[in-house]
Amino acid sequence: MSKVEAIQYGDRKVYAVAAFNRGVAEWLQRLPTVWVEGEVTELRRNARWQSVFFTLKDPADGACLGVTIARNRFDALRLDLADGERVHVFGRPELFEARGDFRMRALSIERFGLGDHLAALERLKKKLAAEGVFERKRPLPFLPRRIGLVTGNDAAAKQDVLATITSRFPAARIVVAETLVQGPLAANAMIEALRELAAAPEVDVVVLSRGGGSFEDLLAFSDERLVRAVAACPVPVVSAVGHEQDNPLCDLAADARASTPTAAARLVVPDASEVLGRLERTRAGLARGARRVVERRRERVVQAHDRLRRAPALAVERKRARLEHAAGRLRALSPRATLERGYAIVRTHDEIVRAASAVTSGDEVEVEVADGRFGARVE
Amino acid sequence: MSATEPTFEEAQRELEQIVERLERGEAGLDEAITLWERGEELYELCVGRLDAAQGKIEELARRAEQTRL
Repeated sequence: MSKVEAIQYGDRKVYAVAAFNRGVAEWLQRLPTVWVEGEVTELRRNARWQSVFFTLKDPADGACLGVTIARNRFDALRLDLADGERVHVFGRPELFEARGDFRMRALSIERFGLGDHLAALERLKKKLAAEGVFERKRPLPFLPRRIGLVTGNDAAAKQDVLATITSRFPAARIVVAETLVQGPLAANAMIEALRELAAAPEVDVVVLSRGGGSFEDLLAFSDERLVRAVAACPVPVVSAVGHEQDNPLCDLAADARASTPTAAARLVVPDASEVLGRLERTRAGLARGARRVVERRRERVVQAHDRLRRAPALAVERKRARLEHAAGRLRALSPRATLERGYAIVRTHDEIVRAASAVTSGDEVEVEVADGRFGARVE
Repeated sequence: MSATEPTFEEAQRELEQIVERLERGEAGLDEAITLWERGEELYELCVGRLDAAQGKIEELARRAEQTRL
């Protein structure tokens, strides 16, 4: 190991660039070898190069680390790595002295295994659940103006969803975004498709669809970035991924989950014939209701009119009865009634006789009874 | 009696008030006749409104029938 020597300028110790780099590089070499996890990007392998280069990217926040590995060592691993694949890299940090570049010198690379995926998925699920990413469940629109459909370019799977939606609601308008739905690049492609569809005019709901597949095939649907994008999507998302037994994390983040294309169709569009039937029944009820209102009013008016017709005659009758009553009382008060009871009025010289002393024996008097008058002599 | 044409409900209410007043026999004879005339007028108005409404309903119902899906 060469010694790193400084140049003295009076009190100041100054290092040449190469010396400084060498010093740091030597210090870094003392660090232990470790395993680092990340996604492979920008993989560069050239038959004429001694080393293979790639960048290891943290899927959570995009932090990057340059990695080099001896070409013969890389080839011997027979990994056939592609961009976006998740790996564990065993190695140590080093400084490329000529450029002052910090990077990792890899000794071995392992592809993320099924068990690793399962464990990582479980951890991610817990983390996202704790953050509340799975909590937002918005109601789906009754009848979306347009439906966004994120689907693979596999014709059969796409047709399946389209056919079930249009058979249920023939007038449905569907905007399709064909994209990668498996492999290391699928998550980013689907996020982009989701973003585009959600931003498209009149799209009120997005269906994320994919047919069945192996656990690895569906891994992209559990990608943290996609799961977050689904949860943050400005319009409701229906996850229609895989089959009943598959539980990709996007199912949890979506507003609704469908295990079949038919179930997805049932969620995003109403049954057209049912809606029309209900509409017709409502319309019939509308006419019935309007007629009933008029009929009720008419009955009430006719009733009032009947009473009005009878009222004047009734009023006259009342007045006549009252008149008769008054006449009766009038008659009762006249002397005639008294005469009819057997009394008589006695007059002398047209004066009513009110006392026995008013007449003497032999006087002529006139007697009035109920039905007439006659003369009489006082004795 | 308002200066503008009364609504159906106003006319109906006035008609019913007139009937009640006549039936209670409170009005004078001359007033009773005037009320009666006014009542008939209100009745005509109400029936006219109802006929118009019914005509419109039937027209709409017929049109609805023609556009049945």
